[in-house]
Amino acid sequence: MRIREHPILEFERGKKIQFTFNGNKIEAYEGETIAAALHAAGIWHYNESDVLKRPRGLFCAIGHCSSCLMTVDGVPNTRICVTDAVEGMVVKSENRGDIK
Amino acid sequence: MIHEYDTAIVGGGPAGICAALAAGKNGLKTLLIEERTFLGGQLIKQTHRFFGSEEEHAGTRGIHIANDLKSELEGMSNIDVMTSTTALGYYEDGILTALHDEKMIKIKPKSLVLATGAFERFLPFENNDLPGIFGAGAVQTLMNIYGIKPADKVLMVGSGNIGLIVSYQLIQAGVQVIGVVEAASKIGGYLVHASKLRRLGVPIMTRHTIKKAIGTDKVEGALLCELDKNWQEIEGTQKQMSCDAICLAVGLTPLADILSQMGCETTFIGELGGIVPKRTADLETTKAGVFVAGDLAGIEEASAAMLEGELAGLNAVKFVTGDERVTERIHHLKEELHGLRAGPVGEKIRYGLAQLFEDSVITSKKIESHEHDITRLAHTGIPSQENIDEKLPDEKRMIKPYAVIECFQEIPCNPCVISCPFGAIYIPKEDINQSPIVDFDKCTGCTSCISGCPGLAIFVEQRNPEQRKGTVSIPFELLNRPQKGDVVELLARDGQPIGTGVVKRILYGQKQDKTAVITVETDIDLVNKVRNIQLQRTGKKEVM
Repeated sequence: MRIREHPILEFERGKKIQFTFNGNKIEAYEGETIAAALHAAGIWHYNESDVLKRPRGLFCAIGHCSSCLMTVDGVPNTRICVTDAVEGMVVKSENRGDIK
Repeated sequence: MIHEYDTAIVGGGPAGICAALAAGKNGLKTLLIEERTFLGGQLIKQTHRFFGSEEEHAGTRGIHIANDLKSELEGMSNIDVMTSTTALGYYEDGILTALHDEKMIKIKPKSLVLATGAFERFLPFENNDLPGIFGAGAVQTLMNIYGIKPADKVLMVGSGNIGLIVSYQLIQAGVQVIGVVEAASKIGGYLVHASKLRRLGVPIMTRHTIKKAIGTDKVEGALLCELDKNWQEIEGTQKQMSCDAICLAVGLTPLADILSQMGCETTFIGELGGIVPKRTADLETTKAGVFVAGDLAGIEEASAAMLEGELAGLNAVKFVTGDERVTERIHHLKEELHGLRAGPVGEKIRYGLAQLFEDSVITSKKIESHEHDITRLAHTGIPSQENIDEKLPDEKRMIKPYAVIECFQEIPCNPCVISCPFGAIYIPKEDINQSPIVDFDKCTGCTSCISGCPGLAIFVEQRNPEQRKGTVSIPFELLNRPQKGDVVELLARDGQPIGTGVVKRILYGQKQDKTAVITVETDIDLVNKVRNIQLQRTGKKEVM
């Protein structure tokens, strides 16, 4: 959910854009990371762990923990927490099992 | 193509920007590279006013400091800034490589300042990999940079400054914080931050830890337990709390990878956050001309990072040009850093630094114990009655407005002194770590100091014994700001409702900069008890 009102901050959002995550349309604003847009859409479950198939989500949001790696426009292991969303981008979970 | 520079700076946070400005202002051809698409590092996530010395940005919100620094950079034609650029390595032939636009670029700097910052520590507990367990920095990024609500109900783990500040920021963003868990017996961060949370009704559970996150696909709750003084679980103390996110604020570790790659010597110093570079008091590593600053050099406050950045930048100038004119400023910066670290809250840093180099200035000063007993405050976030009484004038003086500064811990901070137009607030011995004192002969109760205090720890009271009434002015920077004439619920230092009052005056102008000063009238006996207010809601009561 996006914050509409804040006592201190004002958020200047960019142009509205769309990308797909595992085939589903996600709305984002230019300048937002893929992870930020997914979070705003209520998507917390990104991947599954290799062996135990445990759910994986956002942890550090600064590109250092590897918990959010996804295939973006065909490029595997992209850190979606530091990659800006772009109109028409195709984002897919890795080790995704049945994540929709 | 090789890009040649006098100095290259890796990392565009507070330390890196200040290093670039120092180098650029002294004529160096400077390159600043930053991995993210924007500059500012952690500064741009900070909605609170900074502590420290007024001379060095204190009293200004982190976001504003970031903007000021960025516009200073823009005015410098000899500083090149490259964002979305990740440093890859630094090699024996003096070449720094970086990834930019998916291509490797080569940079040849005559000197190098590394200000890569830190990353968040993790905590072992069952189910700690569930989605909904976030680092405190991630939560800040979501809500303060992108304006996205991180969760609805959050449990904070860790009561250091980050845990306390992020908890408060969560509440500002409209998120409920169900509590702060702290394994130690005392609150780790500045106690003014703890008091801010307590008066919003947030419990701080010292000697508690998280045992397990509840949930299968995402966090649905947390299992907590109490710890004994040997940090062992006390049987029968487990309790479950419901939440949809668990935020970890359990410390930071320097991002030192590039140091090892380059062959700079490192060492483990727990007090500084883990593996840190060996370096001199001038921030030079074991490689000549390679300097470090900010959290990479040792985990500390952003105010220290900015001073260190400038110090590293000036030393790079000295290294490249041999210019001695910067020496005086270098000396001054070292004094400033020493001042910031001189008090009780700087003890850990001093011990850490003492292991790095013999610095008589840092190690020789005996730490003065607090003049007053603040044990209760340190355990609960709520000061004792004795603490409070010491801050009050005599009864006769109370019929006129007076400032009550509820700042009991010795922390390096002084914006209140400067904010007073009547010179009524002073810091003993001109030591920035001392708690401020109000001269009640000079104080007019004008409330100027209230919104300038980074800890939101100043209140103005007035009592009218004849009518058995009084007023209290408090700082307020949340949503649902009451209006003049509203009947509001009055909350005590622990966030519990203690009565009602009427809003008599609201100051919310440029000077207050979004920290409203709200004056309420109430019963005389409540004047010194009210520390928060909230709008009365019919039907439902919301804990702020």
